[in-house]
Amino acid sequence: MTQTPLVEMIDIEKHFGGVRAVDHVSLSLNPGEVVGVLGHNGAGKSCLMRILAGAMVPSAGEIRVNGKPVHFADPNGARDVGIETIYQTLALADHLDAPKNLFLGRELKTRFGNLDDARMLREAQKVLARLNPNFKNLRDPVSQLSGGQRQVIAIARAIYFDTKILIMDEPTAALGPSETAMVADLIRQLQAEGIGIFLVSHDMHDVFELCDRVVVMNKGHLVGQHAIGEVNKDDVLSLIVKGELPADWCARNLAEAH
Amino acid sequence: MSNVMKTAARGGLQLDRFMPEAAKLHRLSALLTLVILIIGFSLASQSFFSVNNTLTVLLQTSVIGLLGIGMTMVIITGGIDLSVGSVLALSGVVTGMCVKAGLPVIPAMGLGVVAGAACGAVNGLVITRMRIPPFVATLGMMLIARGLALQLTGAAPISQLGAAFGRLGNGALFRVVEMQPNGFPKVIFPGIPYPAILLLVVALGAAYILRCRQIGRHIYATGSNEEAARLSGVRVDMTKLYAYVMSGALAGVAGNVLMSRLVTAQPSEGVMYELDAIAAAVIGGASLSGGVGAVSGTMIGAFIIGILRNGLNMAGVSAFIQQIIIGVVVIGAVWIDQVRNRN
Ligand SMILES: Nc1ncnc2c1ncn2[C@@H]1O[C@H](COP(=O)(O)OP(=O)(O)O)[C@@H](O)[C@H]1O
Ligand SMILES: [Mg+2]
Repeated sequence: MTQTPLVEMIDIEKHFGGVRAVDHVSLSLNPGEVVGVLGHNGAGKSCLMRILAGAMVPSAGEIRVNGKPVHFADPNGARDVGIETIYQTLALADHLDAPKNLFLGRELKTRFGNLDDARMLREAQKVLARLNPNFKNLRDPVSQLSGGQRQVIAIARAIYFDTKILIMDEPTAALGPSETAMVADLIRQLQAEGIGIFLVSHDMHDVFELCDRVVVMNKGHLVGQHAIGEVNKDDVLSLIVKGELPADWCARNLAEAH
Repeated sequence: MSNVMKTAARGGLQLDRFMPEAAKLHRLSALLTLVILIIGFSLASQSFFSVNNTLTVLLQTSVIGLLGIGMTMVIITGGIDLSVGSVLALSGVVTGMCVKAGLPVIPAMGLGVVAGAACGAVNGLVITRMRIPPFVATLGMMLIARGLALQLTGAAPISQLGAAFGRLGNGALFRVVEMQPNGFPKVIFPGIPYPAILLLVVALGAAYILRCRQIGRHIYATGSNEEAARLSGVRVDMTKLYAYVMSGALAGVAGNVLMSRLVTAQPSEGVMYELDAIAAAVIGGASLSGGVGAVSGTMIGAFIIGILRNGLNMAGVSAFIQQIIIGVVVIGAVWIDQVRNRN
């Protein structure tokens, strides 16, 4: 491969006391590529993604963005190089409304340095409408919104700014079918713009529909990394559950190759 | 049919917009309480509604109000500052000592406020760097600042600080005094006391910071969900530090007002004032679990406390009974906060 990957994670480790949440994981992402990250609950997917997002400092390992080594002290460091994250927990401040959450930490200001809430409201309206045309409760504290609406705000926040790498940790868990379809469209659109995406998901259908490549984690290890054409859903399920491919996978693949 | 439904829905939406949200409702009921208190005390005692007593209330409330504003910022971040009563005393003592050392009054008061801000900074650093819970950290500072104030003065008040020192606490804007033929001055219009003006200016400034500045937004976000704020790029530790420094500095300002009023620096002043400040903030709608609060509410709360104390005094209620009543009011306000959070 001649192209420099957008992101390379090399030999990443994360320990919590005796727990090895992430154990010697190496993973890369190319521009315009969607990589599905699968695994049981507790496999270490969120930890790996939080490390890339700058929300967690790895115990060991190196991260390169566009070939250059980076060290994120906090999420701002990752944002500065264009890494945006939709956290599994959504990371919304419950008492604030949608525009305030969308721009939290990156507030728009007037010439005098005051908060420009009017402009933030207008911008929020625009980007939220792109995801859900019926989104109306822009002035309500987000604690009063539905799970789907909250998720839409978290997604909007990750695509509004100049995103180069998008981490989506179970982004459709609380969404209905129409919103999920909207997110699928969005992923294809962002992919066409050359954005690299990590998609953590439990939905095998979505993963096979949207991703170019799947990686599977099991007990902190990366147990498999395959182009979508190489594996079927049963193969991936076996990787998730047993941490290895089915016994007949090699034979099948050889047969297909001939 | 469908048109009717649409109109109804639209009407509902518009009604929604006029329905005050929970926080505003809380503030409105606090305001109502305040009005009822004023009417009640006016009926109970004729001298309650006099010009002189109004000025007394303004003065008493300005100290609670200044402390309450800083407390509100801290409470919105999800913290608490138990040290303000002691920091108030330490600041006043520092100012008094500077004046005694020959410094002009204004720089001396400035140093007193700086001493208060420094106490706040220590609070903030202990909480964010050493990860000590705010309750414990500021309880420690409560003892440290009080001990310092007593140690520095040998527990004796500093008096004879001069007329200039007393101007802030006793002076007034637009005061009209006429010399009578018998040589005694007669106050025609008592004017607006400086402490009341100071309180107004500080309240407007704090409200501006909380509503219109980024740091204000981050104060709310930090108290609402600290982890979410951190993940959103808010420098949570800096935000908390800011709130505690503001609380300390405003305790310093309050200390200067109070000591100036007494024209004496009293190291034992301000005991339990932190409870009045917390009560003012909570009565005004600030939530001890963070993320909610407003300066306007705290001002109403401060006046409720100030008027309650003053009115009970005027009505001849004993100091002991007063304590009981204010204790009940504080518990009641926090209880309302709890009920509100459960919904
Ligand atoms: N902050 C933390 N402190 C201690 N252990 C953690 C922490 N975060 C995650 N873990 C542990 O790390 C492992 C991986 O968790 P996680 O990355 O959330 O899994 P996944 O997202 O794949 O479900 C789990 O065993 C979890 O208990
Ligand atoms: Mg997870």
